[in-house]
Amino acid sequence: MEDLLDISALIQLRVDGQFHELDVLPSRTLLDVLRDDLGKKGTHLGCKTGHCGACTVMIDGKVAKSCITMAATLSRAEITTIEGLADDDGSMHPIQQAFWDEAGLQCGYCAPGIVLSSLELIQNNHNPSTKDMEVALAGNLCRCTGYQSIKRSVTEACVRMYPEEK
Amino acid sequence: MVKGKQLSESYVGQSVRAKELRAPLVGKAKYTNDYTFEGQLYAYILRSPHAAAKINSVDLSGAKKISGVHLALCGRDIFEHTNGITDHLNPAIFGGKSTRLPMMAVDEAWCYGQPVAIVIAEDERTARYAASRIQVDYTLKEPVVDAEKAIAKGARSVVPEWDDNVLIYVPFMNGDTQAAFDQADKIVTTDVKIHRFSSQPMETRCYNAVWEHDTESITLYGTCQNPHPLRLVLAETLRMNENKIRIIASTIGGAFGLKMHGHPEEPLICLMTKLIRRPVKWVENREECLLIGAREQQHKVEMAFDSDGNMTGLRDHFLANIGAPSACPGWGMAFLTGLTMPGPYKVENIDVHMNAVTTNKPSWNAARGYGKESTAIALELAMDNAARQFGISPIDLRLRNFITKDQFPYPSPTGLVYDSGDYGGVLLKALETIGYEDWKDKQKAALAEGRHIGIGMAFELTPEGGTIPGTMVAGYDSSSVRVGPDGTVRVLTGITSPGTHNGTAIAQIVADELGIDMDRIEVLQGDTNSSPYGFGNYSGRSTIVGGGSAALAAKDVRNKINAVAAALLEVEIETLSLSEGIFSSSDNGDATLTFAEVCYASYTRAYDVAMCIDPPLEATRTFKPPGISHLPDENGRINPYPSYSNAVYVVVCEVDTETGKIDLLSLAAAHDCGKVINPILVEGQVCGAFAMGLGGALTEDVQYDANGVQLTKSFKDYVMLRMADMPSVGMAHHDSPNPDNYLGLKGAGEAGVGGSAAALVNAVNNALEPLEVVIHEMPLTPSRVWSAVQNANNSEGVK
Amino acid sequence: MSLHPMYARPRDLEQASELLASLSSGAVIIAGGQEIMPYINYGVMMPDVYVDIGGIDALRGVSAETDEVSIGPLTVHRDIQNIEEIVETLPLLAYAAKQIGGGMQVHNRGTIGGNIVAMHPLYDIAPALLALEADVELLSEKGSQRMSLAELQDLSNHGLGTSSILTKILVKPMSPTTLWGYYKLKNSAGAYGSANAAVVIQLDGENIKSIRVAIGAATEKVVVVSANLDSYLGGPYSSEVGLAIQKTCSDAIGEPLSDQQGDGVWRKAMAGVAARRATEMALGKLNNSSSNG
Repeated sequence: MEDLLDISALIQLRVDGQFHELDVLPSRTLLDVLRDDLGKKGTHLGCKTGHCGACTVMIDGKVAKSCITMAATLSRAEITTIEGLADDDGSMHPIQQAFWDEAGLQCGYCAPGIVLSSLELIQNNHNPSTKDMEVALAGNLCRCTGYQSIKRSVTEACVRMYPEEK
Repeated sequence: MVKGKQLSESYVGQSVRAKELRAPLVGKAKYTNDYTFEGQLYAYILRSPHAAAKINSVDLSGAKKISGVHLALCGRDIFEHTNGITDHLNPAIFGGKSTRLPMMAVDEAWCYGQPVAIVIAEDERTARYAASRIQVDYTLKEPVVDAEKAIAKGARSVVPEWDDNVLIYVPFMNGDTQAAFDQADKIVTTDVKIHRFSSQPMETRCYNAVWEHDTESITLYGTCQNPHPLRLVLAETLRMNENKIRIIASTIGGAFGLKMHGHPEEPLICLMTKLIRRPVKWVENREECLLIGAREQQHKVEMAFDSDGNMTGLRDHFLANIGAPSACPGWGMAFLTGLTMPGPYKVENIDVHMNAVTTNKPSWNAARGYGKESTAIALELAMDNAARQFGISPIDLRLRNFITKDQFPYPSPTGLVYDSGDYGGVLLKALETIGYEDWKDKQKAALAEGRHIGIGMAFELTPEGGTIPGTMVAGYDSSSVRVGPDGTVRVLTGITSPGTHNGTAIAQIVADELGIDMDRIEVLQGDTNSSPYGFGNYSGRSTIVGGGSAALAAKDVRNKINAVAAALLEVEIETLSLSEGIFSSSDNGDATLTFAEVCYASYTRAYDVAMCIDPPLEATRTFKPPGISHLPDENGRINPYPSYSNAVYVVVCEVDTETGKIDLLSLAAAHDCGKVINPILVEGQVCGAFAMGLGGALTEDVQYDANGVQLTKSFKDYVMLRMADMPSVGMAHHDSPNPDNYLGLKGAGEAGVGGSAAALVNAVNNALEPLEVVIHEMPLTPSRVWSAVQNANNSEGVK
Repeated sequence: MSLHPMYARPRDLEQASELLASLSSGAVIIAGGQEIMPYINYGVMMPDVYVDIGGIDALRGVSAETDEVSIGPLTVHRDIQNIEEIVETLPLLAYAAKQIGGGMQVHNRGTIGGNIVAMHPLYDIAPALLALEADVELLSEKGSQRMSLAELQDLSNHGLGTSSILTKILVKPMSPTTLWGYYKLKNSAGAYGSANAAVVIQLDGENIKSIRVAIGAATEKVVVVSANLDSYLGGPYSSEVGLAIQKTCSDAIGEPLSDQQGDGVWRKAMAGVAARRATEMALGKLNNSSSNG
């Protein structure tokens, strides 16, 4: 059985379009790997208990809290962080633009998580109701906005991403 | 939605898009924890697990053995080489007590969570593991946890050299309150218990102290609201020259007072880099962040009324359980609660006492509202209580007792001078915004079905821009405006942003003054090496003094540019106009110059056409709001606040009496913050403050066991509101500008927590009025509400 | 307690079982990680070995036969909410899974198996499965063993440890005539439950044939109430019956939990209220067949 046990795990991640093969210690979370090994600081640490959602990324297209995801368990995964949304030339994704125009953030610390959770919602539901937004953002805390401008931003993002579906 | 500016409009007053929002949206904003340096080391702090204990010995050997550990120290190791931490607000200045404030406990721990030892290692996990290997020998002492017990005769002194546990006692007296009570037709007593809760920004604190080998100095990257004042604190505590310390407060993820200086970790992490000569980073975890709280106060509000409902006297003797001594300005909140009495009411006879009581709970720091929110909670719950006892509407009772529009500037019984306001107007506007009459009808219909809807209102007076003499809580601030040869602008300002984007507000002001596009302006904040000396952000001061000083500096520079333009065009200055980046003159027909051309000439033609000015195109100016007076009046009182924002909050809720659960149905706020520079930013502030106040009133609570050990350790227990909890907030402005401040600014950002919390409590009590249930203890958790309903049912017999 | 833990990702159940048998007490099993990672992050748990069962295909998949629905423990909550087989045959379970806190992130990664073996008093899956009288299959050194979830709950105090691996969750499909309800009382949107009641009712015409209530979050272990409800069988539901159910369920709470969400006295009462409201939800289906709870 000894050959099953290892001090680390080899994982293959494609992060924001870029392929990485990493040898990770089991104690490292996906958040650690993104921020410290790959230098992607856009995703944030808020609580380390999986309550606040500031660490939200997408794993294989679905949102997840990276601070409670053990990196070693992701043998092959596609990761999208906030930094993967903009085009290569730097132009913002419509959802980022919508949040900017509607001031859907203040201090910005929770924003990457909120944007990704909102993006997953809008991809699955092009015209979400307020109730739909509440369910989609149940795992994300914001301390600055009181959520009002976030709701506005999500609605505006839908308009921009799916203009034909009013 | 933000809009583009029309040609002739000014930026001020427009919902201009904030530039600062772009970076976090693309994941490129630089928060303090995003900085990592060559040779980075990490700190972990071992904290006392006891509320009160003598520290007999600290054995660090177990930690030092762990591979990857560079340093392990305890309080005794550093005691002789450092000073106590300089107070943010020294109680001794005001007649209170003081004591040496250590970075780490030395002979005794005086609260749960106090730093006892520190480990520096190659990574945080190793440091934490090594810290678990430290052996501390404690002898437990009897913890002093409850404020009433702490001031009872015979209570043990938390600070051994003090006679008692009263950090400071401050009376606020005016007139003859005893006579007012003796002659009163009605006296209403309301016991208000405000609990301990906490701002909990999404970003916790972080300090990364870097030893700069070339200059033998320290650069501290930190989540700091007040970089310049902190620099002095570090210099004094670490026995260094202030000019050997630089603080960089980059993007901050929310502060709400929690990041005002005084924390032991600030000098402690700097000391570590000084000793070890490598960068040392400490990232506060959420459990540590939850140690910081505020607001736990017990008020006994007594109001004397005549038979018409005019308040003739106010008494409130209150206790604040401020926890263990600290250099943070938490205790000042209790002082402000008293100073802000009697709020918006014109009663002149007041007898208010504040006792700030030291206990073995973790120390307070400042929290949004800085004590003024608690004034609102105490007064507004009492006013509603009085209205119920009089049998008159809470609206009428308030209108009867508000200071009226024509009474400003109004000298308050505590010595403040309220600048401007229309309190009755704000109340009526708020009620109109929520649709008060409609909700009253719905409430009646619901009651007929056995459902309990409640409507509650509350007023919050928020003195802004505060300054306290003899301290670094200063009322003025400075900005530099620098226009380069290409006509683009840098503004450097002493105020910082906790995430409120005062930088955008300042850019709007400067753009208007210079007559140029906002896109040509960059605002830089937070670096003590480049910003003019400033005091950071707190007390809603940023746009008042930051905006005010930037306006003055921009005007100076504009005058220089105008002079050069006039010289170049060979016209009189008065004939100049600047539109869309082009200077022209009514005296010189078709001749035009671009703004950039004029700027370039200012730099390069210093000895001929531009000799009318002194280059470069830069100016640094300071704004000192004239409304502040630190020279005591005949009663020894001062007015430390230049402006008085105010607002009314209205909450409609439904109470499920079977479970005690409260559902929020509708929210509204009408506020007066003087001139509004950027409506979308101000509305965001109001909405956020509403969520924070409602969270405090409903679910947020920091709890301790009987031994003072903190039970609230994560967001599992400290529950803040989520999107699903918050209905929309209807908002209205009702502005009375401050006549003295630039553009009439009064400040926004701090207000809202108290008014919204009080409105919620009032709404619940309104809903439960048919059951004769009244609750004045927060938070209004379902179990508290349910118990109150059960008790009322039981005392009335079976319903 | 180890600063340098080891990691293993067994390929199949046999390998996993052998490995776990060979390890001493410092090992943990990890799947989605939503439950144990917070403890790992704070250093409260510092396992010597992590056994990652995420690569074991036998633990995945849902199959619905006529008499039994078999759910792989690695099935994530989002799938429990949406997979046709579960929505159609175990609608109570699908609904309870929707009530799980933590947001979409937790629904995407959290597994039903992880939720069950955590045996956290405040969680939602156990009350639903206990109301449905679910069984579990466990694999240990001694081989495969099947028992009721109720029995497993009685045996263990907190969590399953590494002595066995949960390999299957087995539930009898709900009949189309079965009425069900789930009521989760929580203080606010982000709070954990204070009383989570799952109810399954069988009617015979207008009369109650059987009723089974499982209440979580009120006590350390989920309480199942059925025996004491016998007196209401054979008659129709009425508000009096509802109140009686409420009282019975409240009385069934011996040692209520007390935490920051609420004290024991309130919780005991809420257990009853939640049970009654779940019952009302179940019966609401009769009146409004288009409602889906």
